[in-house]
Amino acid sequence: MILGDLLGTPVLDADGGRLGRVADVRFVLDGTPHQLMAEPRLLGLVVGPHSAASFMGYERKGLTRPRMIARILRWRHRGSFLVLWEDIAVVGNRSVRLRPGFTRYSTALDDHAQA
Amino acid sequence: MKRLLGVALGILTAIGGFVDIGDLVTNAVVGSRFGLSLVWVVAIGVVGICLFANMSGRVAAVSGRATFEVIRERLGARAGLANLAASFLINLMTVTAEIGGIALSLQLASSVDYLLWIPVAAVAVWLVIWRVRFSIMENVTGLLGLTLVIFAVAVFLLKPDWGSLAGQLAPTVPQQETFWSYSYYAIALFGAAMTPYEVFFFSSGAVEEKWSVKDLAQSRINVLVGFPLGGLLSVSIAVCAAIVLLPAGVSVTSLSQVVLPVAEGAGKLGLAFVLVGMVAATLGAALETTLSSGYTLAQFFGWSWGKFRRPAQAARFHLSMIVCLLVGMAVLATGVDPVLVTEYSVVFSAIALPLTYLPILIVSNDPQYMGEHVNGRVVNVLGMVYLVIILVASIAAIPLMIVTGAGS
Amino acid sequence: MTSASAPLPKAPGVGGRILDAQLHLMDRQVLDHDGVPVTTVDDLEVSGPAVDVEIAPGAPAPVLTALLTGSVLGTRIFGGRPPSSRLIRIPWKDVAEVGVVVRLGVKGEPLDASWVERWVRDKIIARIPGGRHDPR
Repeated sequence: MILGDLLGTPVLDADGGRLGRVADVRFVLDGTPHQLMAEPRLLGLVVGPHSAASFMGYERKGLTRPRMIARILRWRHRGSFLVLWEDIAVVGNRSVRLRPGFTRYSTALDDHAQA
Repeated sequence: MKRLLGVALGILTAIGGFVDIGDLVTNAVVGSRFGLSLVWVVAIGVVGICLFANMSGRVAAVSGRATFEVIRERLGARAGLANLAASFLINLMTVTAEIGGIALSLQLASSVDYLLWIPVAAVAVWLVIWRVRFSIMENVTGLLGLTLVIFAVAVFLLKPDWGSLAGQLAPTVPQQETFWSYSYYAIALFGAAMTPYEVFFFSSGAVEEKWSVKDLAQSRINVLVGFPLGGLLSVSIAVCAAIVLLPAGVSVTSLSQVVLPVAEGAGKLGLAFVLVGMVAATLGAALETTLSSGYTLAQFFGWSWGKFRRPAQAARFHLSMIVCLLVGMAVLATGVDPVLVTEYSVVFSAIALPLTYLPILIVSNDPQYMGEHVNGRVVNVLGMVYLVIILVASIAAIPLMIVTGAGS
Repeated sequence: MTSASAPLPKAPGVGGRILDAQLHLMDRQVLDHDGVPVTTVDDLEVSGPAVDVEIAPGAPAPVLTALLTGSVLGTRIFGGRPPSSRLIRIPWKDVAEVGVVVRLGVKGEPLDASWVERWVRDKIIARIPGGRHDPR
């Protein structure tokens, strides 16, 4: 599957209610170790109100300057959340449906965990 | 001593390299029609380009990444592509204008027809890009461009009425012009001072010359001393036009009118100086804009680029520049007036500025790229102020162009 | 959407470094082992999941298999998808480091991703005198 197809797809909950769009896809490097880097395993999807590339990840990386821009971008992406692979029911052509009772997690990247 | 020479060289090259065909034409036109009432715009533009060049140079020196690489990474592919399309087209327009400028200057110097000089100019530009080392190219064209200081000398030789000149500095619309044409030329002058290609070139040049954090101090001096002095040089072009052409009611439409005041003030020797200076300045600018075209394309698509590499190792980079030069030649061969192309290119440059400026402002704040060299508080405040100025200029440009009929 | 008041819980701890596709990988410059630019990351290929198929609970997560480049950039922006055989891939196993740029552990020249560069070089640039001249 090509990731570009997944980004921007609308995300629905189990009843078909609209939750947002796939803003990003989160991987964790704990798969099979290769010679150079471990295989990235899909951890979950970052769901946000717009598909517009969450513009430089202002809301995830705690960047605060320039202040006006940071505030505007954070406001545009308020309500973004992370949903884990286990909570995804179907990845379709036009939408992604989550399992009932899925958990919303914070999208923040820890300093030691981020790239 | 060697350090001092190096610093001096950097500054002199920055001054000599500041003026291009856009500055030559726009300042002369403005001086001949509005006197000195728009000089304040040049001042704002110079501060802006200092700010801009400083940030992009710092990003390149600290992170090793040039402007357009950063634009795609931060804005994403779609916005980056739109940015590329706009920037590239305007750059291409500027390349055309600069090559036309070389040809016109050579025509003035030799009385050989301008159309014949076009292929000579284009081939000369290509040969230098193909073979000459980056630093040599920069230094030679920059130092030769210093002969344009004859404009400043001519101002004194023309013995103007200093009092009335100073009076013209007030930002008022002259009687024979309208508020709309005043604003239109304010934007044009702003675009001529803050050309986007400058930034692409400056930051890519930093990577070409392998700047590191140690070079930041030198680059800051070059920018903060060199660019304002270059701005003064641009202003002296306007002053010359204001002294000689404005009272005579001659509004500049050709390059020969730009040099008229120098011929009047400094005679044949002055004319020789200014012609050398114009050829050097337009050649230098043509080199910079052509390289910028290559840089923007290569950096967006991830190609190998750089004059420090063998052409065989940066094949697509060199091919794209050859194509740009061919397109520029073809456009000029249709007989379009390069002065007209120049006047349009500076206004379009002003329109495209936000596209280049915003990513630089943001990345220079990002610790992942900049480490501890992120923008200070003052730079950020100035940056936001200029963001507003640039947006206003960009949005107002097209309506003003329509209302004033492109300034006529 | 979510009530803005209660902050969301942190995701359970993971045993490795986290990479967000769009934020850290997409549109990044790819350099080869010697630092020579190869291309940009235009898209990414993952091993699953199958489209429009219900995912069984407990199914293992898909993995990122390759960086994609080339015509896939056009389809990513404008829509559509090139056939799998036409995709230009850089397998993940060739990636050595991900930072501000993506560094490969191999030389870039023989890669599929460099075929256009090789073509332009051999057909055009190398034919012009001085094309192989070292400018330094």
